[in-house]
Amino acid sequence: MADFSVSDSSAAAADAARVRALASFKAGDRLFQGLTTLAAVTVLLVLGGIIISLSIGAWPAISAFGLDFLTTQRWAPNARPQAVLGGLGPIYGTLITSVIALIIAVPAGLGIAVFLTELCPQWLRRPIGVAVELLAGIPSIIYGIWGFFVLGPWLADTIEPAFVNAFEGVPILGSIFDGPASNLSLFNASLVLAIMILPFVTAISRDVFSTVPPVLKEAAYGLGCTKWEVVRRVVVPFTRVGVIGGIMLALGRALGETMAVTFVIGNSFRISGSIFAPGTTISAAIASEFAESRDLHQSALILLGLLLFVLTFFVLAAARLMLMRLERKQGV
Amino acid sequence: MNDMSIMESTRAVQDDVKVAIKNLYFYYGGAKPSLKNINLSLSTNQVTAFIGPSGCGKSTLLRVLNRMYDLYPNQRAEGEVLLDGENILTPKQDLNLLRARIGMVFQKPTPFPMTIYENIAFGIRLYEKLPKSELNGRVEKALRDAALWNEVKDKLNASGLSLSGGQQQRLCIARTVAIKPEVILFDEPCSALDPISTAKVEELIDELSDKYTIAIVTHNMQQAARVSDMTAFMYLGELIEFDETTKMFTSPAQQRTQDYITGRFG
Repeated sequence: MADFSVSDSSAAAADAARVRALASFKAGDRLFQGLTTLAAVTVLLVLGGIIISLSIGAWPAISAFGLDFLTTQRWAPNARPQAVLGGLGPIYGTLITSVIALIIAVPAGLGIAVFLTELCPQWLRRPIGVAVELLAGIPSIIYGIWGFFVLGPWLADTIEPAFVNAFEGVPILGSIFDGPASNLSLFNASLVLAIMILPFVTAISRDVFSTVPPVLKEAAYGLGCTKWEVVRRVVVPFTRVGVIGGIMLALGRALGETMAVTFVIGNSFRISGSIFAPGTTISAAIASEFAESRDLHQSALILLGLLLFVLTFFVLAAARLMLMRLERKQGV
Repeated sequence: MNDMSIMESTRAVQDDVKVAIKNLYFYYGGAKPSLKNINLSLSTNQVTAFIGPSGCGKSTLLRVLNRMYDLYPNQRAEGEVLLDGENILTPKQDLNLLRARIGMVFQKPTPFPMTIYENIAFGIRLYEKLPKSELNGRVEKALRDAALWNEVKDKLNASGLSLSGGQQQRLCIARTVAIKPEVILFDEPCSALDPISTAKVEELIDELSDKYTIAIVTHNMQQAARVSDMTAFMYLGELIEFDETTKMFTSPAQQRTQDYITGRFG
């Protein structure tokens, strides 16, 4: 171009190029939005599909037993003239083992997290942190084998008789810790579960504890707080939401854990008040019986699966609700 | 710089030493000291301001006074800090007790994640078991002392985090005052605040100096001139000059002080 003033035609050309470029950006944006929407919608579709197929599979059992399924303890797939199948035993076992596992793992996990973030000498931090994370990496079948061959016999020989003797004759506690001691028991399963969910509780609490601004902790120390007071009154309240989230994730894992529990729980559908007695959980029952099941029996197992799904959903929903109420109370 | 002249000049204006810092060296780890041979005294019920460019050790010095550095394993201090004549740098010093006697207000407001009332009551409860009515009185007194009472009296059960930045900072001051310290350390208390809040906090510091010995670190020269009785100018970990504020800002003895105050460096 000879003259340096921008001629009309070249300005128009530049405008056109810009419009083209913008249009191609816009197309890219639309594509990107479409892909992410698709991914998000897929989750809903999969979720819905699972619910529908579970419901279809469980329908024969639902129409045969109705609400009685939830209150019946008897599990007799070969009974004549018709099988009698009740889900109370597995539901009870699932809840009890998960609750006991939480009772053990939450204080231990929080303790480890506090130790790692507040008290531990720097050089020890990594080894312990890595060890806890490795716990999460151990396949559940190995926990099952260990629980079956090592933990179970040891518990039955030492801990369980000690509890039975200590609480003999005490109301309520006496029946919770009632004999005879058994290798395979709800208690054994709870302990194995506790070890399995410990890394979740620990890792998540440790991560959220380390998000507390140092200056906030310094302010608390500056008032003359001890380490315990700082943790109790500042660190934990500040991170409450994250910690509860971690616990709920752990609970979700505990409710659904299958392989290890199937190994050590004894697979008994009979409910005994004692935690030292064998029992079963929903997932253990499905895992141990599904291969040989047919017709109504199979349908009942699928119904159990549906119930586990609903149970987990309600646990997570309750957790969400609790968090929302907490946040509102904190006014943040 | 001759230490004796500093000592003499301070002795001239002070009759009652609350905190005496003697031959203080501080290390953040490593062999290079971040504070070099600091000697100065905070007088009872006076406001002492610390000024100097970033990284000169002002805040570090405050953190030595309540041994906040003890939270971090590699940091150490050498020399003596005498609070009412007793060395607080000895290992046998009870840190919780020390921090009750020497309160601290930080650069950023640090309300605890609890209600306004609890933010104050929390600190009091650490040291005293009071009946509810007396505790209420103490909380109100602390909030009044921090000039915050009128703004929060109707929402004591709201979260401390719901307050504005300036209110949060005054809440932190109230919290510090509530446990009846003898010395209050302010570490750039206004740097995150707007001018109106800053004015309120400065006014507050002025009122508090009737009852407390105050040390304040500030980047704001006018603030140092407004609120303090004594001013210390620090540079690269050393105390360059320490004198009455009026003298420091009108006819400083050191050229570097003059340069800093007039904005020629720093």
